[in-house]
Amino acid sequence: MNLEARYDRDMGATSDIPADWLADFEAAAQRPLPLRMRYAFIHTHKPGLDEGLFRAFDTMAEYRDWCERTLPSWLGYGRV
Amino acid sequence: MGAFEYRQALEIRNAFSLRGVRYLFIGKSGAILLGYPDTTQDADLFLDKSADNGRAIVAALGDLGFPLTEAQGHEIEEGKDFVQLRNGPFDLDLVFAPDGIERFDDAWARHVDVEGFPVCHPDDIIASKAAANRVKDRESLPRLRAFRDYWVARRGHPT
Repeated sequence: MNLEARYDRDMGATSDIPADWLADFEAAAQRPLPLRMRYAFIHTHKPGLDEGLFRAFDTMAEYRDWCERTLPSWLGYGRV
Repeated sequence: MGAFEYRQALEIRNAFSLRGVRYLFIGKSGAILLGYPDTTQDADLFLDKSADNGRAIVAALGDLGFPLTEAQGHEIEEGKDFVQLRNGPFDLDLVFAPDGIERFDDAWARHVDVEGFPVCHPDDIIASKAAANRVKDRESLPRLRAFRDYWVARRGHPT
């Protein structure tokens, strides 16, 4: 599928969505935005990521390389 | 450092609006604004990479209380692809060239307004995560794609 065709492609139904996911989506849709955000944003210490105060990368590839070199694999920032 | 809060999202919106920053919420934080129920740790912003926008971003970050040095401000203005801020009132990732999206203007043309917050279309959020191809993205994409289908269907039939 080309990029332009992808946007707002109407699936017509949500019947393919697993029931537990659909229930989550429906419940979230009933919550006001401030509450959704309170439930969604958490803070845990991420070793490697939280050690620096400011970092900048010329390219996304450099950032991805840095993540793979620096961060523990269990954080999930490594490329598949 | 506590978790990112709605109040801080409002502060971003107001400061960026005041300074005329061209930006979009992207990543899981963008999906959450759209209604996606999941957890994340920080806000990701996709910013237009231009000299004018760079200066506006630095000014707005100063307004928000990020203590940027002159050198750090210059790095943002000169157009890095990715900047990670952990030295302010909340954690913020600035993405100037997200994987999977060619141009800011394209994403802006498709963006969604959520109560005044400019947010990438879910297909752009998915495209950037798919292109990044990280382990954590690979794990989250099936549920995010299902949400996208739910969101499109619900958008067509608002309750």
